[in-house]
Formats: sequence, C-alpha cells, structure tokens
Amino acid sequence: MIAVAIDEDVDKVRAAADGITYPVLMDADHVVTELYAISNVPTVVMIDEHDKIVHPNWSAFASDTFREITGVDSTAQLDRIRRWVRDGELHMSPEEVKVAVDDLSPDEERARLHFRIATNLRRSGDTTGADRNFALANELAPHDWTIRRASLPLQGKDPFGDNYFALAKEFNAAGRPYHGVTGH
Amino acid sequence: MQAMGSDTNANDVLMLEDGPLVDADELEATLGWTLKPQGLCRDETCVIVPDPDAIRRGDQLDVLAIADLLDRPAVSDDASGLVAIGVPRDRRRSALHDQQAPEFVLPDLDGMPVALSDHRSKKRLLVAFASW
Repeated sequence: MIAVAIDEDVDKVRAAADGITYPVLMDADHVVTELYAISNVPTVVMIDEHDKIVHPNWSAFASDTFREITGVDSTAQLDRIRRWVRDGELHMSPEEVKVAVDDLSPDEERARLHFRIATNLRRSGDTTGADRNFALANELAPHDWTIRRASLPLQGKDPFGDNYFALAKEFNAAGRPYHGVTGH
Repeated sequence: MQAMGSDTNANDVLMLEDGPLVDADELEATLGWTLKPQGLCRDETCVIVPDPDAIRRGDQLDVLAIADLLDRPAVSDDASGLVAIGVPRDRRRSALHDQQAPEFVLPDLDGMPVALSDHRSKKRLLVAFASW
C-alpha cells in the first residue's frame, strides 16, 4: 500500500493516518492527479510487480461511511482487491484497462497548473494572487473535485456542508464526470 | 528513471518565478533543453522547431511556446510572474494507454522522499485520498 494525500494539510493527514504502517505521502502540488488523470478521491490504482497498471483509477471506499451518497458497497471492492493481492486475479482485461480512463482535457491540465500556482502563492502569503489562480482553476475544471473541493479549505471555506452540496448538485447536473472506473 | 530527491524536478513539474521569457543561455538551466540549429535538444534527443520566430520574443525565448513544442502544458500568471509547466503528456498517456505506471517522488509525513519505484517488484495498491 502506498497512500498519497492530495492535500497540503499535513496535520489533518497525520491524524487520518494514525496507526498506519505503510507509506503516507503528501502531494500538495497535485502531481499524481496530473500523472494518473485523477479527478476525485478516494481512488485506487492497482500496479503489478512489473509497473503495469492492472486496474486504473477506481472510485473505491474502504468503508461504507458514504454508501448512502455513493451507492458503493465497500465489501465487494475489498474482495476484488484481496483476490488480486492473494491470487493475482484480474477483474479487467488489458483492453478494458486501456479505455477505462479518459485523458485530461487541455482545460483540466491548465486547471492543475493554476491550482499549483495558487498553492504556491498562498504559501508565500499572496492571498489575492492565490484566489485569482484558484478562480481560474475552478473555471477551467468545474467538475473536478481535486480542483473545486480541494481549493475550498485553502481559501478558508468549509469543504463540507452547503459548499459540498452545491458542488455535488453541479456535478450531478453535469452527468457525474469521472476519470476512471466507478461502482463495485 | 527520475533522479531521487524531494525537489519537484524529480516529478518533471516546473515552477518558474520570473515570467515566461528567458535568455537563450538560460534555457538549459530552466527547462533542461538547449536551442541548437537542429532544434531543441536534450542529450541525444532533438525536437524540431518548425517556426523559430514563434518561440522568440525579441532577444528572448518564450518558455510557454517551447513547452508546447515539448508537448507539456504550461500557464503563466502575469501578476506574480509565476509560470507552471506540467508533466510531459506522454508520461500520463503511457499510464492511460500502455498501462505503464508513471514514476513519482513525494515526501512522506516526515518530509523524507519516497518513490513509487522504491517498492518495485511488489504489487502496489496506490490509494489517493484527502482530508477535504
């Protein structure tokens, strides 16, 4: 297991990772979401001994906490992961894997770069510059949770509650676009 | 593979601080590529520059136009002077279409760099999560 936090709040991540023995990495610049075309978390990627992706970005949950919202049953997902680890059983053919994740659009790429500039400016105390670039990133990728929702706490806004439901409403109206495999 | 280290260069993303224009002799230090008569070159690889005027702004070179030739996304924030250059697109495409997991190096919770390849020859479950 390698956990990557698409996050820059190391204290919150440390609290969430309490007791975990595998590596937990911080990706404040959202490099992994650019490299693997990730648009929401949690998502898992299965990588085999030869660096091959055998199961691409998959909206997976380790518990049923959000089952009412997501409709995803974590038990079936964990079973699928266990069967791969234990028996090497693959759920998707290489042909299915090849077409499972859409590439990022040019706007989604640019959104990631403006987000990266925003976090950089925020760290140096330039709140106005940060907000300007968060706004650009949000316009470019309005249905990308790693942009829209991740920028909320970095602008002092609550990522839960009303802000979350407003984003979810827009996301649902847009047909729930997701880079990867959904369901169980 | 990539050089080890906690600097973001290991991940092939770049952040420039002084705007998108650089002198020709700064290009190698900035992007790792050099402008030669045969094109943009790094080690043994050269990329043809179809229109040399398109990457020049006066006496200087425009890294946004050069990033485009190198198939990397790039944006500039004029007010701050920051220029963000993303990963070469073929690294992501190799993940999506050839199932080749792209290498990355990120700090762990204690700030120590960890690479995906540190765990080579093992099955790896990469889990992306967040506190938001």
